[in-house]
Amino acid sequence: MIGLSDRISGTFFLILGLTMYLFVNPNYIETVDGGNISPSTFPNVVSIVIAVCGAMLLFRPTPHQSPEIRSVVITSTYVLLLVVGLYVMSRLGFEYIAPVLALIIMLAIGERRPLWLVVGAIVIPVLIWFLVTIALGRALP
Amino acid sequence: MVDIATILAGFADAFTLYNLTFVLFGVVLGQFVGAVPGIGPIMAMAIAIPFTFGLDALPAIAFLVGVNKGGLVGGAVPAILMNTPGTPDAAATALDGYPLAKQGKPLKATKMALFSSITGDTISDIVLITVSAPLAILALKMGPIEIFALMICAFSILAGLIGNSLIKGIIAAAFGLLVASVGQDPEHFTPRLIFGNWELFNGLPLPSVAIGMLAISELLRRMSIAHGGSMNSAIITEETGNPDDQRVTWAEYWSCRYTLLRGAGIGTILGALPGIGSTAAAFMSYAMAKGSSKDPTSFGKGNIQGIAASESANSAVVGANLIPLLTLGIPGSVGAALIISAFMIHGLQPGPLLFTNQGQLVYGLFGAMLMANFINLWVGQLGLRFWVRVVSAPESIIFSSAILLCIVGVSMATGGMFGVAIMLVFASVGYLMSSFGYSLVIFIIAFFLGPRFEKSISQSLALTNGDLTQIFKSPVAVALLVFAVISFFWFMRKNTRERDNES
Repeated sequence: MIGLSDRISGTFFLILGLTMYLFVNPNYIETVDGGNISPSTFPNVVSIVIAVCGAMLLFRPTPHQSPEIRSVVITSTYVLLLVVGLYVMSRLGFEYIAPVLALIIMLAIGERRPLWLVVGAIVIPVLIWFLVTIALGRALP
Repeated sequence: MVDIATILAGFADAFTLYNLTFVLFGVVLGQFVGAVPGIGPIMAMAIAIPFTFGLDALPAIAFLVGVNKGGLVGGAVPAILMNTPGTPDAAATALDGYPLAKQGKPLKATKMALFSSITGDTISDIVLITVSAPLAILALKMGPIEIFALMICAFSILAGLIGNSLIKGIIAAAFGLLVASVGQDPEHFTPRLIFGNWELFNGLPLPSVAIGMLAISELLRRMSIAHGGSMNSAIITEETGNPDDQRVTWAEYWSCRYTLLRGAGIGTILGALPGIGSTAAAFMSYAMAKGSSKDPTSFGKGNIQGIAASESANSAVVGANLIPLLTLGIPGSVGAALIISAFMIHGLQPGPLLFTNQGQLVYGLFGAMLMANFINLWVGQLGLRFWVRVVSAPESIIFSSAILLCIVGVSMATGGMFGVAIMLVFASVGYLMSSFGYSLVIFIIAFFLGPRFEKSISQSLALTNGDLTQIFKSPVAVALLVFAVISFFWFMRKNTRERDNES
């Protein structure tokens, strides 16, 4: 449907702008006496601009096509994989989790050739480890 | 004004073996990643920035400039051999490069792209070196009121030139400004929108936001496209065996001199204006070359003039992009925004004061840029055959290693996993924004300019005792505001006309 994409994003930005202006900014920005410009002025102005432009987009959408649902679902799965990977990495360390994360990503993309899987899951993480900890003398996450 | 001793000292710094080595690394890496469709120099720069943290400022920034310059040369390789531009800038190159490769002349096409790229880049660098210092002196005469007007002007140009809709451009800019207001307010230094999380008190880290939105979001998009697909990439080119088809003769190069100069001119002018980008320059130069040709029908069928036009223009944008960055502190492109991140990581603030406070560094950077062109030519001559092999590396390796490098890089730049978590949040935001047609470049630039914009408003109000009508007493500010209003309405009309044409 033509314009659906902009109507969705326009509605989102309308709600975001109004929420920021009416709820978030008054509650999460400290008020200060004096000065030239209050700490809430700038976020309030841009929140209103976002809400107004969101409303304009809602009523006058461009013919931009909506993203494919399949693509969004696949991307969300990869994001979830990264969230879990980063959480476990913060607990166990890069050295143990990076090869597993790389292997899962490669398998998910469709890589099945053993040589490339070994390169991606073992050689590359070892090279990164060498570059960061030995060559640069920095700590890995 | 920067004295001659500082200029010479800067150039001497650039020509040390240590700094030249980093330029060489940058160019080689840039050509490599440019040749691989899916990474590109911007993503490589985003990934490489945190790794430059341990270096001095000059080798670090020279390395990144080398990546950017090398990437433009490398980007032409898959465009010519596979009709798949490694970078958007190379799309115009594919129009004539790919047909020429199919005629059995892949080396002639890639070499013409290399020579044209170096020519355009060198001309643009010379313009940068000669005009940026006088412009910086002019910029130093601007007070907070003029800076405020300049910011409005920059935003009006950016919103109109990037993205398919002005409204979306404004939303992207406003959203970037809103995100930039997280942290402390620049006048009272009180916490703002940090939700009790004191790690946000200094604002959202620029490397996390930039790498998340530009690198990870693009990786996610490409991973979703490649998901479960074939891992084979094919380059099918057969050479004729004729030595003349494997090289560019001097006569052929000389016959393109006007096209090369015009391309370099277009690239330099468009590069100096924030927000237009090298893709537009390449297509504009290509269109003008075709329009002025005696044989326009040969374009699109393997005419080396077409390659010369697009490559000289897109490469000329790189040097010219640094004109607004170094003189005004305004990044005109994604590459420039990333170079600003590198400046800030090394404790430097781009803008007119950079010439006064860090003159030696600036001229060192100029020297490194000139040397990068020679190194680009040398590496390109040696490496073109090798890059042809490189483009066949599978996407699975590229995506998984790029993600690991982003995680490690951001963790190093921000000092822990908190920055990496922010990167992931902005990767998701970036993916959604680009999927719905919002410009990530506008968002990033607005995010970077936000605190400066707010500070300039605050200073202007202080200077005028709250009476902003006094702005009209400054001719420069008035001129900039008038320009902003004109460009706003011009882009509004242009968008409406384009939308009418589409429907």
